[in-house]
Amino acid sequence: MAESRDDFVIAIRYALLKKGAKQKFSLFFLISFSILIVILDKLSVPFIQSTRAVLNDFVYEVAYVVSMPEKFTSYLGTKGIKHLNIIKENNNLKEEIEKLKIGRYDNLFLKTENESLKQVLKLESILTSGADKIVVAKVLLDQESPYLKSLLINKGRKSGVIKGMAVFSKSYLIGTIVEANFLTARVLLTTDLNSRIPVILQDSGVNAILAGTGKKTNYTLEYLPDEFILEPNKIIFTSGRDGFLTAGLPVAETYLNKNNELKIKALADPQQASIVHLTKRTK
Amino acid sequence: MKIFATIKKILFNNLIIIVFYYLSFNSFEGLKELPNLIIFSFNLHMIIVYFYILKFPDYLGLEHIFLAGIINDVVIGIPLGTSSLSYLILSFFTSYIRNATLRSKMTSEWITFIPALFFANLVYFVIINNFSNLSFYYVELLRSSFFTFLFFPIFYVIFNTYQRFFLKNKE
Repeated sequence: MAESRDDFVIAIRYALLKKGAKQKFSLFFLISFSILIVILDKLSVPFIQSTRAVLNDFVYEVAYVVSMPEKFTSYLGTKGIKHLNIIKENNNLKEEIEKLKIGRYDNLFLKTENESLKQVLKLESILTSGADKIVVAKVLLDQESPYLKSLLINKGRKSGVIKGMAVFSKSYLIGTIVEANFLTARVLLTTDLNSRIPVILQDSGVNAILAGTGKKTNYTLEYLPDEFILEPNKIIFTSGRDGFLTAGLPVAETYLNKNNELKIKALADPQQASIVHLTKRTK
Repeated sequence: MKIFATIKKILFNNLIIIVFYYLSFNSFEGLKELPNLIIFSFNLHMIIVYFYILKFPDYLGLEHIFLAGIINDVVIGIPLGTSSLSYLILSFFTSYIRNATLRSKMTSEWITFIPALFFANLVYFVIINNFSNLSFYYVELLRSSFFTFLFFPIFYVIFNTYQRFFLKNKE
């Protein structure tokens, strides 16, 4: 009994302290060092924060270069498929042009109606507001991790990017800045599980919190009034109640899925964004 | 020509380390690029660490495991040191298994991957839960761990074949 316990202790000690021929550090040292880093990172020591910002900038730039072959391969694949479908697409476009010609007058009517609805809701228009500071950035990497949905962009504090800025793709809100380094920044997408945005619903004016679930076609609305019934095809705007997002930014819309269930989907696809706009609410 | 031969030799000798760093910079989660197969996402880092620490500990240094973990943390955006600690805990269990095993067989190594994977993911889970404000789907972590375990034999054969070929060439 005592012998087997001795063997166990020896094996543990050997695993922790033994260094290989080419190894400079023991496993015990590296584990201790990792624990120290985790604790220092949690404590947010200023020295660690600045070191992390430099490390982030360096790693993001290298990660961008490393992802280039993969991006190039997927680009070639996409181009190939597009080339194969070009005739079909051309015919579709011709049909679409015909439809657009017919629908042009309808669009003018809808535009006018949209403007008047916004006025009714007393919401501001985001990108048309001259007071907002706008920064244009390129997406370096998009993290389609099962756990975290975020984008890395090529503008940082040097370009005036700060934590909390709203990020847009094609005039639609897709996320907010959660980490601003000197040259790069991280955008937490609205689809992320950790994302919470105060919103207001079209027509009803009801306030709620839009929460991400990890899927762009399945948001959830929290803190809705008890007897409130959600209707399909309603646009969801930011309410601006958090103090840093401008009110009236379109984020998502309600829709009925194939099973006739009411769901909420994003207006813009964050994964398709290559150029994004960043704005800061100017008081 | 001599330069090319030297570069080729360096690349060939350190291929697994290069792949390991590449996966970290790319925040690789197997099959995530294929929307229909994302359900089968697995952690190739864990497989590489387990296989190489178990079978060829001299080819993948602990320093590389530590550094690749730090890079992975930065790219994913989780607290610094989380992946490093997780991989090093896996290395520790693997080293223990290596020392305690008398005769190695693929099936027994596959089974012992379960506790090693469990403790590595437990550390990951504990750090994310207690040292950050992030929330994530625990089911995803469980699913990823399951497929990491399931795909281990495939990579075992691939890495074993590569190492045999590599050692043969070296000799």
